[in-house]
Amino acid sequence: MQSDQPPPRRQLPALDAQIKAAQQGSATAFEAVFDACYDVLYRYAFQWAGNAADAEDIAQLAAIKLAKTLKQFKFESQFTTWLYRLVVTTAIDWARANRRHQGQEPAANSPEESVTHGGFSAVYLQQLINQVAQMGEGFKEAVILVLGEGFSHKEAAQVLKVKESTVSWRIHEVRKQLNQHSGGCHD
Amino acid sequence: MTDPKQPSNHSPMDDLTQQMAHTPPPSSAAKAAARQAALKAFAEQSANHHQGFWARLRLTLNNRSQEGNAMQKKWIYSGALASLCVVGMTAVLVKTTQPELMVPVQSGVEPNAQATTEALAEAKAEVKQDASLAAELEAPSEVQMEPEVAMDMAAPQAIAAEPSKALPAKRLGTKELRQTAKSKAAEFAPSLMVRPAPQNILGDATTSGPVIQGEDEFTEFKTNPVTKVMDQPVSTFSIDVDTASYSFVRRQLNRGLMPQKDAVRLEEMVNYFDYQYPLPANKNEPFSTYVNVVESPWKPGNKLVHIGIKGYQIERNALPKSNLVFLLDVSGSMGQADKLPLVKQSMELLLSQLNPTDTVAIAVYAGAAGTVLPPTPVQDKQTIMQALNNLQAGGSTAGGEGIQLAYQLAEANYDKNAVNRVILATDGDFNVGIANQQELKGFIERKRDSGIYLSVLGFGQGNYHDNLMQSLAQNGNGVAAYIDTLSEAQKVLVHQATATLFTIAKDVKIQVEFNPATVAEYRLLGFETRMLEKQDFNNDKVDAGDIGAGHTVTAIYEITPVASENKLIDNPRYASNKPEQGDTVDNENANEYGFVKLRYKLPDEDNSKLISLPILIDQPQTDNKLQQEVNFSVAVAGFAQLLKGGTYTGNWQYDDVISLAQANKGEDEYGYRTEFIQLVRKAKMAKALP
Repeated sequence: MQSDQPPPRRQLPALDAQIKAAQQGSATAFEAVFDACYDVLYRYAFQWAGNAADAEDIAQLAAIKLAKTLKQFKFESQFTTWLYRLVVTTAIDWARANRRHQGQEPAANSPEESVTHGGFSAVYLQQLINQVAQMGEGFKEAVILVLGEGFSHKEAAQVLKVKESTVSWRIHEVRKQLNQHSGGCHD
Repeated sequence: MTDPKQPSNHSPMDDLTQQMAHTPPPSSAAKAAARQAALKAFAEQSANHHQGFWARLRLTLNNRSQEGNAMQKKWIYSGALASLCVVGMTAVLVKTTQPELMVPVQSGVEPNAQATTEALAEAKAEVKQDASLAAELEAPSEVQMEPEVAMDMAAPQAIAAEPSKALPAKRLGTKELRQTAKSKAAEFAPSLMVRPAPQNILGDATTSGPVIQGEDEFTEFKTNPVTKVMDQPVSTFSIDVDTASYSFVRRQLNRGLMPQKDAVRLEEMVNYFDYQYPLPANKNEPFSTYVNVVESPWKPGNKLVHIGIKGYQIERNALPKSNLVFLLDVSGSMGQADKLPLVKQSMELLLSQLNPTDTVAIAVYAGAAGTVLPPTPVQDKQTIMQALNNLQAGGSTAGGEGIQLAYQLAEANYDKNAVNRVILATDGDFNVGIANQQELKGFIERKRDSGIYLSVLGFGQGNYHDNLMQSLAQNGNGVAAYIDTLSEAQKVLVHQATATLFTIAKDVKIQVEFNPATVAEYRLLGFETRMLEKQDFNNDKVDAGDIGAGHTVTAIYEITPVASENKLIDNPRYASNKPEQGDTVDNENANEYGFVKLRYKLPDEDNSKLISLPILIDQPQTDNKLQQEVNFSVAVAGFAQLLKGGTYTGNWQYDDVISLAQANKGEDEYGYRTEFIQLVRKAKMAKALP
């Protein structure tokens, strides 16, 4: 089921040269890599955690991990795939280390986030994301990658190291369940 | 449609996509902090680079084993929490089906549900980790191996990024740091803790849930044995005014359980009650001392030597100024209704007992330690209450750090003429940051000598570390009380506030020498954890217990007179040089069972004073009031012995405790004694259980 019309993919700029230089130890090159990657890390983290405070935590941890493990990127896969895999793992580790369930930590301590800007409501996003997270492991990640980041099911499957059909099934389930709930709520 | 937050003219899936597309950009401050941390990590790993392949391999193996340890611990933790699953699951389900309930303010309110969800998520995560081959979300290999390490690394780097935040904490989470950075203006604001306080946290949340059992820690001790006077005529101990044991026992019995034997400390049970011994006649002597001899109720023929001490009461308008530092544990384990919410209420009670010019500071600790409230005069009660009410539980427990911070606050506000005291409220679970308990005790001891005392209020159950609490309070010249209910808080912090706060005599030691001519055997009831060596009595350097204003202390010996048939230890067959019984009756002390010596120091003095009293065989008749108090304390002592198994109490039963206590209840202004009798009835029931 690849019928979803994916939004335009947020592609990273070509970074191979900088990555190679960073792997040789160039701090300047690494800074360039960081600048190119941080927004991606943060965006994923925000969709995953549902509030800015936690997203900043996760993104920073992911950035540190990037610094420590960049050398192991062997150009065997897409750097984007590798980077997303890194932040996916970081977010899960973070939740574990914080003994805090994903998204349960409210954005209540930063009320400005609940203000809608440009049609965006952090609270609403969080509700939906939480609903997805309750469906089981991996659902939330699949939804963020496919819906939020515009990955194809295949690419998402590569990041998550699962079969493409698994991602498709998860997206399908999420759609089904969200529709059900929305029906229940508005009746 | 009417709710702007729910643009539901789309399907939810479209909404989700749309919402995600509108993720706000990161703040430049967060990005800058992350850049700095990442660059630092990058520099560090570059430095390691020169050690080559082998170094990295070694590092990896190290990391892996560390992770293993950490996970083992977490397994235990999540296993314990798993007992809460049933309640938690229900709450989670409710949330799932009712999205409008998931407004952020609500979602923090149910500590149980949240804890359980966390536990579940964690358990799941660990299952996945363990079966990492099958894991769906496998990371790049190195990343997978060191998640814990990466987390740990983040902290120091983040600190480097924000050096101006000089909270005295060694290990701060990134979250705390980031928030500290945000609230530059409010240096004292506890941004790491302050959230809208859920007021309705109290109540059913924990009482209805299953309680974690058996993790409470107590010092093991052996009941004091019967000693032959000829072998060892001198007995020395330090007084003890703690009451924690009684509250803990009460809590267990109220739940229909027999307390662990090590939780029953006889002296603390006896001293829980406020006996109406006559007050001292003049203030030159800070307390009055009474010695009584009564028949042993559980062993006819034996006598009980009852030593009672009553400290003078300071008039309210004569109270010295108090500089208090509340050190509150706000770690995750304090989230239950009988912990942090009760702490807040207790502190509020205590505030009501203070004078307007007294000062209160509040420090908290969880994963990190922080100052919530700088020293503030009590007349500014609103500020203090607000700071208290903003506290919320979360994180691990770096108790050692917190104590250091609290003492810093106390020192900053030190007033030589005031009472400078740190009041620690915790469940005693110091799981982070205190590597060495001895070190911590030493620290508290040194601070005590510089005039800052420590009292400990214990809260909660399931993970209560009584042993540590006791020794901290003992080393800090303070009281260790266990607060299980609001009425106990009332007793400790309101009715006995002066005793809790104002020490009138310190290092109080008692030494009793028995007369071998009249006493064959003796046994000290309780005080097992307070025994001193004979030579410690006259050594003023040896620390001992303290008496607060209005405190009463009771110690009871059971003695077997020479003439009695009750002796438990036979006379030695071969020690023929020892005087035969009765041979020494003609000495001038033949009318004495023994001699009580008591040493104490005034709070600001270093040299001890001595009080001594004979234990006369024919004690002058005491007045009925004192007799009643003595009898009640004997009833409590008997009860404690029964709870511990009743080795020396013969056929004496709970019913005998009840009738003795009932007959000597007295006025019982606050109902504590009535409650005691109820407790004995409960023990009767609890004992019948398997």
